[in-house]
Amino acid sequence: MYDIVIIGSGPAGYVAAIRAGQLGLKTAIIEKNVIGGMCLNWGCIPSKAIMESAKLFKRIGKDAGRFGIGGIDKKALTFDWSKAIKRSDGIVKKLTTGVEFLLKKNGVEIIIGEAHINSASSISVNNRNLEAKNIMIATGTKSPAIESTVEGLIIEPKELFKAREIPENIVVTGKTPVAIELAQAFNLIGKKVTILCPGDRIMPLADQYVADYILNKIKKDRIKISFETELTSTEGIYADGILSLGEDEIKCDMIVNAATRKAILPEIDIDMKLTEEGYISVDEDCQTSIPNIYAVGDVNGLSYYAHVGSAEGLHVVNHIKGIKQKLDIKKYPINMYTVPEAAQIGLTEADIKEQGYDYKISEFPMSANGKAMTEGNLDGFVRILSETKYGEVLGVQIVAPNATDLIAEASAYLEMEATIYDVAQTVHAHPTISEVFMEAGFEAVDQAIHK
Amino acid sequence: MRYIFKFPDIGEGLEEGTIVEWHVEKGQKIESGDNLVTMETDKVVTGIPSPKSGTLVKLYGKVGEIINVGDALVEIEIEGTETTEDPTDTKSHVEAVKEEGAGVVGTLEIAGSGAVLSASTEGVDETPEEAPKKRKTLATPVARAMAKDLSVDINKVEGTGPAGRIMKEDIQNYLQSAKTSAPAASSTGQVFTPEENLVEVEPMTQIRKTIAKNMIQSKHNAAHMTLFEEVEISELDRIRKKFKAKLADDGVKLTYLAFVIKATAMALRKFKSLNAQMDMDAGTMIYKKYYNIGIAVDTDKGLMVPVVRNADRLSIAEIAAKITEFSEKARDGQITMEDMQDGTFTITSYGSIGGLFAVPVINYPQAGILGVGRIAKQPIVKNDELAIGLIMPLSLSVDHRIADGGETARFVNQVMAYLEEPTALLF
Repeated sequence: MYDIVIIGSGPAGYVAAIRAGQLGLKTAIIEKNVIGGMCLNWGCIPSKAIMESAKLFKRIGKDAGRFGIGGIDKKALTFDWSKAIKRSDGIVKKLTTGVEFLLKKNGVEIIIGEAHINSASSISVNNRNLEAKNIMIATGTKSPAIESTVEGLIIEPKELFKAREIPENIVVTGKTPVAIELAQAFNLIGKKVTILCPGDRIMPLADQYVADYILNKIKKDRIKISFETELTSTEGIYADGILSLGEDEIKCDMIVNAATRKAILPEIDIDMKLTEEGYISVDEDCQTSIPNIYAVGDVNGLSYYAHVGSAEGLHVVNHIKGIKQKLDIKKYPINMYTVPEAAQIGLTEADIKEQGYDYKISEFPMSANGKAMTEGNLDGFVRILSETKYGEVLGVQIVAPNATDLIAEASAYLEMEATIYDVAQTVHAHPTISEVFMEAGFEAVDQAIHK
Repeated sequence: MRYIFKFPDIGEGLEEGTIVEWHVEKGQKIESGDNLVTMETDKVVTGIPSPKSGTLVKLYGKVGEIINVGDALVEIEIEGTETTEDPTDTKSHVEAVKEEGAGVVGTLEIAGSGAVLSASTEGVDETPEEAPKKRKTLATPVARAMAKDLSVDINKVEGTGPAGRIMKEDIQNYLQSAKTSAPAASSTGQVFTPEENLVEVEPMTQIRKTIAKNMIQSKHNAAHMTLFEEVEISELDRIRKKFKAKLADDGVKLTYLAFVIKATAMALRKFKSLNAQMDMDAGTMIYKKYYNIGIAVDTDKGLMVPVVRNADRLSIAEIAAKITEFSEKARDGQITMEDMQDGTFTITSYGSIGGLFAVPVINYPQAGILGVGRIAKQPIVKNDELAIGLIMPLSLSVDHRIADGGETARFVNQVMAYLEEPTALLF
């Protein structure tokens, strides 16, 4: 009898498994593919590795001369996707091996195979029957398939990060930050990119102000975007490298499917409640409609972020061990690996209006920050939304080259329920990008110094 | 040198006070003894004088905010001395108190971390050491701001955050449960929420809290027994009218109450158990040989009880002058802690507003309280004939643990005798 059997070894499942092992629970983790799941193998890590290559490529061409580096012939620069992938593979290998090592070190049994849930306490895998006191489903999500008879036209993210030729004209479908990020990466290496965006705005979870800023940026970079466009099949609208959408004829050699992802449900013999969108329905402790079966990570539809999945996984293990905590995903940062990066935490301006707070916005531009100037990155801002009575920091949004790292400071503000007075009083070293926080704090309290 | 003046304990065991009014501003030069701020404590509204001369560099707290005893009130830059001392170093301040504090402001001792009144019997040395030992309550900045704003004692809130940290939500839940639990326990079972607009929910003032605490303490500890009487005071009224104009020339109002105070004080001299208190723990009776009569005064802030000291030795004119002084002070919110200390017996003259008889609540730990009802002309039987009398209703509550029935009745008879024939007070 296992204390817990975890299905899926992505960042929600494997983190929970390590924690369960540490707490002395008899733990097994079942993975049908590779350890580390999407995040490590064909999500977060490879996409970031490729993005770094793409940014460096662009930067060398654009900035080398201006930064005093001679001998670079801009026209002679080429981008080798396969070589970039090789570097990425090295990183992935290092990380997945590390995860496997940690699982074993903490006494977690790793089973490669496809799980089948027979009952609330029984799972079959590879003709084996496992009895479990608790089951954690961490099977993740995938983009709904786009039907096409043209071989190799539709590329899933899972297939993208492999050694391959990247053609000239690329269509990316989707509205999430992942879709924008991929489109920008292709744009940086000189490809012609079109985004097909279902709905009327990109990055629906982002504050409108952030989304608008990024939208302006991608338009400026000549990435085409077509709103209210959902692609489910290329049948009858694709021929000879041309995708015909109404009157639009889009040159297209490859379609990257980055549409909003749907739950991957495990095989299960008992009834489990799902949400309207088909995710596994869970309560505030990530418990499903079946007691002792939990669902964490993307599959419960609460969030598509690895760090949220990990936090949920840890929460469930603690919950099983009787450690009481509160899971408040509004206090977790949302990172968008666009160019420049965007990140936010807490309430958006729309949330704040809806909840009826009296609020104040203080914004400080990167263009007034000394360190940003030296780095030659003037895009972006930090924006603090605070309520006026106590000065509580309700939400923070950042657009900056390293926004996804800068947001960590704001996470601490939210976690500790800090006020703008605390922000303003926290001395930030000079010269750093992080000074923008202090300046925004000054502005919220009274007036910024360098604005 | 930067000097931090902390809110001193100006009474006996005060914990906190609310800022009523600042009399100074940041940057202003002040002299030692200048009135800095008016504070409402749970007993009085009083001015706090500055212990030092210098320039005010910082005022802590806005009007309406609660300041705990021992917390910083103002920062004063004292000229001519070097700024070597870290103003936040509490230890050095405790020392500063010892060497320079005493006597600078008369009755006020400069507060160290645990401030004391110089007149207090508590030692200066032991108190400051206790306070810093108390563990600081963990709370988020927002929770602190909210607690301060909503007058929530943060030490009473249970924290649900990491390491027991008090979060914003904990303050909200505390307030919610405070709102719902108290009225829910009432017989009506009604729960008041501010959203209904049918009720107004506001934080209790310090004085109201004290009144509530004292009333319950009295009802809980004393064995109340009340005796009602009526006394005919035509003669007293004649004398009062005769001297009224004379005293009015000195701005003094001669009221019936002045006579009642005098009569009571004189009677107390004859019946010692009515001017006593008991110490159950020590197993002793304490008979006081001074007769300080508290008079219940109705003010906008609530009930206050200033004390006419040694009333037995004062003339009625002197007592009347004292009453006039107290009513003026009450009107201006100027009654001080000192005015209210050391009472041995209390008189409440609700009758000047209305009401014939009442069951007054003893001003614990005193032994008795005399209520004076509305004075009115009434038919009386005099020499077997109907006549018009001036009747003063009296309601005397005593602590039956201390005073027996016979003693109580004899005491009332004596008071009545003095009121019926005030010239007897001269003998």
